[in-house]
Amino acid sequence: MNVLIVEDDNALAQELALYLQHERYHCDFARTGAEASEKLYVNEYDFVLLDLGLPDQDGLHLLAEARQEHNSQASIIILSARGSVDDRVSGLQLGADDYLPKPYSLMELATRMQAITRRKHGLTQETLSFGHFVINLSERTLRHGGTEVVLTRREFDLLHYLLLHRGRVLTRMQLSEHIWGNMISDRDDHDSNFIDVHVKNIRKKLSAFDTHEWVETVRGIGYRFKPTQEV
Amino acid sequence: MKLQQKLVLLTTLSKALMAVVLLLALPWIVETLALGHTDASLRAEQQQVMRRIGEIGIASFLTEPNPNQKVHYDLLQDEFIDLRRASTPLPDTVATLPRQQHGTLVDFRVLRHTFQLQGQWYVVEIGKSIASVEDVYSLLRSLAAYALLFAVLTTLLIELGVINYLLRPVDQIVERLRAVQGPMPAPLPPLQTTTSDFQYLDATIRRMLQKIRRVFEQEREFIANASHELLTPVSILQNRFENMLQAEILPEEAEQQIVTSQRTLHRLTATLRTLLMISRIENEQYARNDKADLGAVLQEVVDELEDRIADEQLTVEWALEGRPHLAAANTSLLFTFFYNLLSNAVKYNHTGGRIQIGGQQPAGQPYRLQVRNTGRVIPAEHLPHLFERFRRASNVHTAEGYGLGLALVRTIAQFHGFRLQVESTEQEGTTFTVWLPTAELAA
Repeated sequence: MNVLIVEDDNALAQELALYLQHERYHCDFARTGAEASEKLYVNEYDFVLLDLGLPDQDGLHLLAEARQEHNSQASIIILSARGSVDDRVSGLQLGADDYLPKPYSLMELATRMQAITRRKHGLTQETLSFGHFVINLSERTLRHGGTEVVLTRREFDLLHYLLLHRGRVLTRMQLSEHIWGNMISDRDDHDSNFIDVHVKNIRKKLSAFDTHEWVETVRGIGYRFKPTQEV
Repeated sequence: MKLQQKLVLLTTLSKALMAVVLLLALPWIVETLALGHTDASLRAEQQQVMRRIGEIGIASFLTEPNPNQKVHYDLLQDEFIDLRRASTPLPDTVATLPRQQHGTLVDFRVLRHTFQLQGQWYVVEIGKSIASVEDVYSLLRSLAAYALLFAVLTTLLIELGVINYLLRPVDQIVERLRAVQGPMPAPLPPLQTTTSDFQYLDATIRRMLQKIRRVFEQEREFIANASHELLTPVSILQNRFENMLQAEILPEEAEQQIVTSQRTLHRLTATLRTLLMISRIENEQYARNDKADLGAVLQEVVDELEDRIADEQLTVEWALEGRPHLAAANTSLLFTFFYNLLSNAVKYNHTGGRIQIGGQQPAGQPYRLQVRNTGRVIPAEHLPHLFERFRRASNVHTAEGYGLGLALVRTIAQFHGFRLQVESTEQEGTTFTVWLPTAELAA
């Protein structure tokens, strides 16, 4: 899939591209609004990752232009460090698909891009399963056989996120960015330590049904969802 | 009270006072004037009598059958002239005296004059009945009273009109100032007035409003720039760390160091975000468009914190009286406000402790919300500094924090017009009290 990264900071654009290429996206770059406008006119993209603070124009203009003039079908995600209160609202009103304030976790961005793609192609899965467990995403429930495993809201989010990235190590920072990313407060180590508490509780609840250790601790780094050999 | 009302009141009162004093003094003034007039006419008559006596001699007046006295009344008996011989000279006087007339006593204004003619003393008395004088009095009195009332009312009306006209710019200025909402008012056209004081006042106010507006705009721009300049490098670092962890070929030790760095960066991000948020709130970048049910917001925050509350085995006790609400609020800021208060109540509590969320509506007073926790006591000397940026009673609490949470709480409180207070005692624990603005109660 083709991604246009509209970002005036070269280093940031490179880091972004590095991660996305690893995720099998093809990345193109634009450093100014004019450049982006031209590329949008010539090429077709699946995603436009749009920084609002461009040197030559407001990214919101580009967004409106992309939607109205180029009739672009690309999914547009705003990545902004400007963080003005209205940006999010106006961005979404102008037709952006999502909004992430900088600094964001690349994993979070990739997850959201996947979700947008699935939604666009009608591939949204109602359920995910592991072992004899079934997660229902619309009901936000976890069942084992016919029995519901009662999870709190945050436990559900955490398990779902780990499951989406099964086999990969997620750091506490990535996890807490996902869980509390939008919440501005006096966030501190307490929050990331709390990931441990959530994981401990999830494990306890799962172990009542199954002896397999689904969520594995990677010492000093974080956690990994460890699938079993298919039964 | 408005200046115009005060001036109107003052003018009206002073006019009324003047009218009352003049109306009370009027009888005395008229009487004095009328008596003066009567006395003057009596003297003129006396001159005439004396001239007459000089012309035709005294003898023609004093004839038989009364050679000693001659009394003459005019036809209506309003006036008399009394001429008689006297043995000794009497002083000349003008006085009001009773006189017998048809068997009744009637008041006369009497002029008495003694004179000597050929060695003989004579007294002449000329009188005028008071009743005849009083007719003139009352006529004069009513004329004067009408004139006075007319004068008072006309001047009053004119003055009120002039006051109203002259002070109209003051009303307009006040109206304009009332209309100013927030620090970014639209520019105003100059006020139409010829009074130089008002022109100066208007120009100064407009200049000040523009200056405030400029400062706020500059600050807004600064915040946006600072935000971009600070958060972009942080983003680069955070993304680079994530990419490095992704590489999967790193030695374990290096991985752990990256994770530690990521953690430090996370702290920096949290601090930057909170600082920028405080600045944006102070820069009035948030709207107050929501009607907020505080009970619902609190419930949402408690739900958000349910895992921590459960983990610390805390009990949340609710005692909210009524339905505290705000008519003009920012719900997401309110959420952050209570989230910080309650996450503090969790963080600084002891395992198995309690969190009390209470609210009372004392009669005639603002609604009072209280969040109480059974954590350790905050020493009294720390309490006044608790809401300052980067201050933290660090020696008291075991949990970590960066000293911005409560500064953010204070900023959001100011944004909504709350009053905040914190108390901490051994028996009661630590209590944060929030007084909602009174204006909201009427809504």
